[in-house]
This record gives sequence, C-alpha cells and structure tokens, in this order.
Amino acid sequence: MIHIENLVKRYGDLTALDHLNLDIKQGEIFGLLGPNGSGKTTVIGCLLALLKYDKGTITIFGKEMHPDSYEIKKEIGVVMQNVAVFEQMTVWENIDYFCGLYVKDKTKRKKLTEEAIAFAGLEDYKKMRPKKLSGGLLRRLNIACGIVHKPKLIIMDEPTVAVDPQSRNRILEGIAELNRQGSTIIYTSHYMEEVEQICSRIAIIDHGRVLASGTTEELKKMIKTGETITMEAVALSQKALADIRNLPHVFAISYENQILKLRLTSAKHNLIRILNYMQEHDITFGRVFSELPTLNDVFLEITGKELRN
Amino acid sequence: MTVFKGFLTITKRNLSIVILYFAIFLTISFIIQKSSNPTETTSFSQERLNIAVIDRDGGKLAEGLTKYLGKFHNIKDIPDDQSILQDRLFYREIYYVVTIPKNFEYLCLEQGKKLPVTKVPGSTSGYYVDQQIQIFLTDVNIMVKSGFSLSDAVQKVQKNVSQKADVSLLDTNNANGETPDYAYMFQYMPYILLSILCYVLSFIMLSFMQPDMKKRMLCSAVSSRHQNLQLVLGFAVIGIGTWIICTLMPIFMYKREFLESANFHYYLMNSFCIMLVSLALAFLISMLVHHEDLISAVVNVITLGMSFICGVFVTLDIMNKTIKTLAHFLPVYWYEINNSLLSRNESLSPVQLSSLWKGYGMQLLFAITFLSVALIISKLKRQTEQ
Repeated sequence: MIHIENLVKRYGDLTALDHLNLDIKQGEIFGLLGPNGSGKTTVIGCLLALLKYDKGTITIFGKEMHPDSYEIKKEIGVVMQNVAVFEQMTVWENIDYFCGLYVKDKTKRKKLTEEAIAFAGLEDYKKMRPKKLSGGLLRRLNIACGIVHKPKLIIMDEPTVAVDPQSRNRILEGIAELNRQGSTIIYTSHYMEEVEQICSRIAIIDHGRVLASGTTEELKKMIKTGETITMEAVALSQKALADIRNLPHVFAISYENQILKLRLTSAKHNLIRILNYMQEHDITFGRVFSELPTLNDVFLEITGKELRN
Repeated sequence: MTVFKGFLTITKRNLSIVILYFAIFLTISFIIQKSSNPTETTSFSQERLNIAVIDRDGGKLAEGLTKYLGKFHNIKDIPDDQSILQDRLFYREIYYVVTIPKNFEYLCLEQGKKLPVTKVPGSTSGYYVDQQIQIFLTDVNIMVKSGFSLSDAVQKVQKNVSQKADVSLLDTNNANGETPDYAYMFQYMPYILLSILCYVLSFIMLSFMQPDMKKRMLCSAVSSRHQNLQLVLGFAVIGIGTWIICTLMPIFMYKREFLESANFHYYLMNSFCIMLVSLALAFLISMLVHHEDLISAVVNVITLGMSFICGVFVTLDIMNKTIKTLAHFLPVYWYEINNSLLSRNESLSPVQLSSLWKGYGMQLLFAITFLSVALIISKLKRQTEQ
C-alpha cells in the first residue's frame, strides 16, 4: 500500500532521513517508533507531500505521491500531533468543515459528521467551542476531524500526547475500531505500551534510518535480552556481583539502591539459577520480578537510548 | 467552497466587534460633525469686557481713547484708588484697568511710552484690549504725523471703527462654503474600515495560518490554489460588505444631499481605494502577527496612529509641517487629501481632478506594496518550512 524507497531528506548539512526504506501493507496498524529528532515527523511530512525530499520515491496506493496528488490525498486522513481545529467554530462545525474538504455532497457530509461525532463520543459537546473542552475531548475532536471522511489510510502523529488515561483508552479502542473497519493506520508515539498494544508491525527509526522493523515478537527476537530479572538485595559484595555476572546467560548487571537488575539471554531456569545462588551464599533478598523483554528493551538495545529521553 | 464558508462562519463569530466599531463610527462622526460645524462660521459677536479707565490727563487724546474703548467694552466708573481697583480685579468685576497719566499726549505720541495697565494675570482678553489701545495710538500717531490736528485724528480713528466691511465667501462646494455633513463621515471612514477589516481579517487568518492547520489543509483533497482563491473571495466579500455598509450610512443619513452631490462617485471611489488598502494591510498583519493577544494591540497602534497622523480625527490644515511630511508616507493621508478636496469643491478643475487621481493612485500603490510584502513573507515562510 505504501512503499518508501531510499528516501533522503536534508536540512542544510543535517541529514534528517538517510536512505530510508519502508513498506506498509493494507490493513496494518503500523507503528513508527523513534526518539525526538529521529525523523518520524519528517517521514510523515514527506509521505503527505508537505516536505520536499532530496532523493527517493514514495508510492501510495500504487501511485507516486506528489503535492498535487489529490486523488491519493482524498483517501488519506491526518491527525496532527498538535490539535488543529478552529477555535471560533463549534465541535460540529469543525468536523463538518474538515469533512467538506473531502466530501462535497451535503447529505453525505452530514451523515459522516454525525458518525464521527458518535465515534469520538462527542455527542454531548456538539455545540460547544473547542476552548470549553477538556484536553482529552479536544484530542478526540482532533481525531474526529482527521477521520470524518472515512479514509483508507490514516496517519496519526502522537495523538495521545497529554491525554488522561480514560481518554487514551477510548482513543486506542477507536483506532483499533477504525482498523477493523478497513483503514490502514500509521501511528507514531512515544508511549511504547500503546504501540505494543495496537500496532501489528513496528519500525524503529533513529538518525533518519530504519534500524529494525517487524511485529513486536519479531523485534523482541532480534535482541539479546530474553529475560530481565529485578531483585531487592541487601548489601551485595563486589565478589557476589562478579559471581552473579559469571552465571550462565547473564550478560548485563546493575546494582543501585539495593536493587539488582540482570539481563539474561533466553534460556530455561534463569530465575531458579539466580535464586539458588542467593540461597547458597546466604544473601538476603526481598521481592523478585522476572519480565520478558518489552519494546523498551528492544528500543534500548537497538538504539542505545531510552525512547523518552 | 468549504474554506469560504468556514471563513464566513468565523466572521459571524466576530460580528459583535464589527457592530461595536460601526457604533463608534456613528457616534464619533456625529461628534466631529457637531464640533466642526458651529454657528461661529456664519455669525460673529464681539466680546465686551468690563474695564476701567482712570483718566489723570483729561486731554483730547485721553478722552478719545476712553470713547474709543467704550465702543468695544463696558467702561465701569471706579474711583482712582489702587486698593479698590485691585479688589474689583480680584473679584472679576473688571478685567482691565487703563491708567492714562498726565501729559499723555506727550508721553505716548511723542516719546512712544506705553500706557500703564493692570489686568487679570494670564487672561487672553487682556491681550485683546492691549491690541485695541495699540491700534488706536498708532492710528492717531500716523494721522498727526501726516498733518491732521489731534482732534481730527481722534475723530477719524473713532469713525473708522464704526465702519463695517461686507465680506462675501466664494461658494466653491455648493454648500455656502461649509463642509457638507457627509464629508465628516467620509473623513472618519478610514479609521473604521482599517479597524474592522484589519482586526476581523487578521483574526480569521490567524486561525487559517496556524502551522498545524495549514498542514491539515494542505493534506486535504482541495488544492492549495483553490483554498487560496476561496480565502481571497472571503477577503473580498468581507471588504466589500463593510465598504457598502460604511457608504450606505451617509446615503441613509443625508439622502439627496449626498446622492445629488457632483462628487458622489468620487467619494465612493476614494473610500473603495482605502478599503483595498485596508484589505492588503490586514493580510500583511496576519502574516506578521501570530498571537491572538497581539492582534488587537497591533491593529490599534496602526489604525489609531495612522488616523491621528493623517488627519482623520484632526484636520490636516492644523497639523504641523513635520507631521504632514511624515503623513505623506501613509495611505490614509492621500485619502484625506482627496476627501478634503471633494468636500471643498463641488466642481473640480482639471488640476484638481489630476490631484484626485494622484490620490487614488497613491492609495492603490500602497495597497499593492502591502500585498507584495505580505506575499514575499508568505513565500519565505513556505520555503523555510520546506
């Protein structure tokens, strides 16, 4: 559905996108993950023909994307990172306005507007101006404006920033529902749990390049970490730490504020081996957690940095 | 036409501001009209002061001066006592005391000494009497030196005062030399057009110019060319609508007086030109100002500043030279020059007509300049964003 090949975008001496390649299939919820300045928004800008790029090709629905590709644009819905609605218009007028940019027929537009209002749960706020809406409702209005014309492709740039948990859940459920209704969705977010929860495939971007892409499971298999064990342990000696580091499958260890954190490669009985060592050496320990790798671990290992830094 | 309809919806939300400005327009037009059209232009009454003349000389010249002043003022009979005179002055029973010394003729006519006078400090009427005494003495002196006897000279000067000159004003504007009432409305119109259009349109454009809104619109199925054309249409409709309302006001208020004026179409053209300037300026402001709170401040500074300098509130005739020179660089000046020309002349000579067209041309040049600068800024911004 979307094919990006060797995309290069430079801002003077800075290379924002460095021969970036991406393939997004129809019906996917595709997550774009990357720290600030990694190139996510630039990819979206190029994809929507808002930005000129220096090299490469972008095809959407099998056609090359240009600023005047209105037939393609007709099938795309955009939800920007910042809320972009008219303060002087009511909720209904805003949604109707953005629908009017795609749909000329008044009756059809009215129906679509009503559906979008119902989808975003804004029935009680139709006549209110955006100024009077809470942050969560405002985000929902922003989404309703982007998806009102029922596009085949929806691009969402961090739609849940600064949203309360209740609204966030509603938004995520809505995105899943849009996908079930047949829309392909490109989703960027800082929140890895969200991406993990709703995206069928994910690309990790840094320095304008795709470092890894695949399903969550595929990405997790790409990294060394198979398990992370966290343990409360009082006064561990340097010798004990060295011994634990030398246990089979342990490849990273940290000990701070009496919290021992171990990264281990995937293997059977990792936790039992650690607990046995503690018992044999009379080391007092408290709560113990064993976690399978998360997207955060994937991100950390691939990019060498935390996503939210 | 979604963009255009959106434009009008936002305009509707700002209707209260438009109504407010029209109310201000009407109120101030009336005030200016009333204050600039007083009865003094058709009749004149001389002010008579209560004065005292202390004649210590008693000669013919002193007697003549007393009679002469008596023609202009009420001469009060007050004893020659310094404390009494001061009391009367303090309580404003009299405003001026002339003391004619002994040997008045010799002292004033031959030695040119000034008469000792006492007056209310800082009073303008005091200067008025000073001037009358000065005129009397100068005239008598000239006549005596020309060979007239003192008594003849005094008589002739007194006779001169009684003579009245008939003055006929040349009626160039078919309004008895007075400024027609509707001209005051047109004088004040630039402030209203500039205020309403700059405020409302900048405010609307601010919404359309938000970076994320612009992106959202550019991603839509409506081409940016069509969107811009719809915005231009919005500007035109609001501009022409406001102009029509502004010009309908003098038509409704002065009906035939205005409609039958030979300069009717010139007034309309002049106000149309300033409307175009206002639209271009509104577009420029919307390119430069990105905060809602700043719009009102910027629009007020520009419109009020330009109106004060260019003669909207105070006629250009009484402005000082430096301000007038500065005003040449502002479009409203050329509007007011044209308005003044139209209000003073019912039929225009070829020279006046060419001056009028020059005024229109200058306003259009300003409009084109504002528009060009705004378009350059817009292009630079687009390039930076890309």
